[in-house]
Amino acid sequence: MATALQPSDRRALLTQLWISRALSPLWIPLFTGIMLFVMRWKLVGADRVREEYARLRRESDAPVLVCANHLTMFDSFAISWALGDMGTYLRHFGWLPWNTPEEVNFASTWWKRALVYLLKCVPVKRGSDRAEVAKTLEKVAELLRRGESVLIFPEGGRSRSGRVDTEAATYGVGRLVSQVPGCRVFCVYLRGRDQETWADTPARGDAFDVYSVSLEPKSDHKGLRGSVEISKQVVGCLADMEKRHFDDRQ
Amino acid sequence: MEATEIQEKVVKILTPYVKDQDALATVSGETNILEDLKVNSARLVDVVLAFEDAFDIEIADEDVDEVNTVGDCVRLIGAKV
Repeated sequence: MATALQPSDRRALLTQLWISRALSPLWIPLFTGIMLFVMRWKLVGADRVREEYARLRRESDAPVLVCANHLTMFDSFAISWALGDMGTYLRHFGWLPWNTPEEVNFASTWWKRALVYLLKCVPVKRGSDRAEVAKTLEKVAELLRRGESVLIFPEGGRSRSGRVDTEAATYGVGRLVSQVPGCRVFCVYLRGRDQETWADTPARGDAFDVYSVSLEPKSDHKGLRGSVEISKQVVGCLADMEKRHFDDRQ
Repeated sequence: MEATEIQEKVVKILTPYVKDQDALATVSGETNILEDLKVNSARLVDVVLAFEDAFDIEIADEDVDEVNTVGDCVRLIGAKV
């Protein structure tokens, strides 16, 4: 039986969206400023990615599931920045994707919980009770059904090998794509030039190469097997982008 | 198919994924797959797909939400075979 969200859960998500949007003129410039002037991060190739993402968002109200590789705890910040600049998000707040951070890392104290609440996040507790995982997935599905963008890491965590781990594909991505009609998948590969392997924080002054591919994953199978196959196609797309990245840099 | 027969096959399928092999000695219907047997949560899906192949059944995404213990697996499979 599917884990249905209660009306109170839906109200809570809408309230979070409203508060986050209301305060966005404060926090979007703040975090953009931190990335630009404190961390001195740079993006390489973001113009093309932003153009493609903006086209996707403009052409219809259909939801967008942004699927990205995962190397550091701040990937979601850098990826959101790669999808749109500060002005874009202040004009089109809906384009800023929701994030799904690991609860242990980002929601362990009250001030972190307040922060993730503000930053359009639905924390995920990795390895938790199945019903709890299902409820989190249903929250994400609900956001997608409302036409929101959601950023998710199909590998389920930071890759311990430093490369896209095709064996680590979780079925959650496939399940979301199967459950949400019309859901589009936007794969993003982002890697700092100083990023040899996984880490907590990207290096100060690092330059991130970023690439994207719009994907229409499909499976002839139904149920769990179909979801797993879709997830593998998404992770495979990320692995292909990674291969091209390293081939180009040689 | 008898529940005991299903449980035997379930445990056999689970075995390669179990990190705490000692826990297999005392496995029962109440044994939690993730907490007691220390199966990696990401690999639980592979386990369920193996159930599909072994018992020739189809398992829906939502069915996985109900799988916490060995007994849950036996009930899920028993309802489909």
